[in-house]
Amino acid sequence: MHENQGQGPQALAALQAALAAEHAAVYGYGIAGALLTGDNRAKALADWQSHQEARDTLEAMIIKLGATPVAASPAYELPFTVSGAGSARRLAAALEDGVTQAYLGVVAVTDTTLRTFGALAMQPPANRAAAWRGSTAAFPGMPSGTIPA
Amino acid sequence: MLAASATTLPLFAALSACAGPDPLAGPPPLSADVRSLLRAVTAEQNLIWIYKRTMASYSALAPSLGVLLAEHQAHVAHLRARIVEPPGKSVPDTVTSKPAVPGTPATALAQLRAAEQSASTAQLRRLAGASPSLAQLYASIAASEATHVTALTALGSQNPG
Repeated sequence: MHENQGQGPQALAALQAALAAEHAAVYGYGIAGALLTGDNRAKALADWQSHQEARDTLEAMIIKLGATPVAASPAYELPFTVSGAGSARRLAAALEDGVTQAYLGVVAVTDTTLRTFGALAMQPPANRAAAWRGSTAAFPGMPSGTIPA
Repeated sequence: MLAASATTLPLFAALSACAGPDPLAGPPPLSADVRSLLRAVTAEQNLIWIYKRTMASYSALAPSLGVLLAEHQAHVAHLRARIVEPPGKSVPDTVTSKPAVPGTPATALAQLRAAEQSASTAQLRRLAGASPSLAQLYASIAASEATHVTALTALGSQNPG
């Protein structure tokens, strides 16, 4: 008997989406970090490591549910051209936004434990996005300032 | 004019026999989601009150705090938008907690930080039993408040005295 009985495919799909976002962030920070120097580079390295840890946590959760974790892609298309420190910082913020949004998807599942996991997991990327962008947001994770109806 | 017909009369009789809502019994009880939303609105109103009082007491902090205040005002607007207000009634604008503003900017910022942390934690307690989209709204606001804690910590390090 699999341990995911009672949680359903919706929960598994949300976790897989969060894992895919973490894979993309790990890849993206490799690009951003290479274009940053000094404190920004150290910060990118710390954030990169945080995403690796989050990726490992999600993989373990998905395996525990009896499923195979989604694999990382060999490469990812960047949302815009990244060619210097400014665009590298914007990329880092965009990566964090993507991860925050993916964890917000986990909050939509019915299982309360997973909901709470998703809600807590979106706070570090929301904080990192604010740090890279230099400003907070009223509704982290909600696409383009919209909220669900 | 609606004329009684062979089909409407039996329908009327059937409806009359149903045990529908009694208009004299008063308004129906509030749903769990609405009660939760009302508590969330009050919590945001409490935060807004503290921000406004702190900004009035320490005007040098107003530009930085004003940004965070505006986000709380957006939270209230979106929470209130989820509540259908009956005609003639509106969601109460109640502030239930009015702490005094501490005597220094640093302690005032510490009070705000504690209030934000407490509010963020309270949002997470609302997740259980909420509809999926409402749970996402609470989680997003909790994350916003978590970023406010970080911003206030940074602001506090710039205002140590």
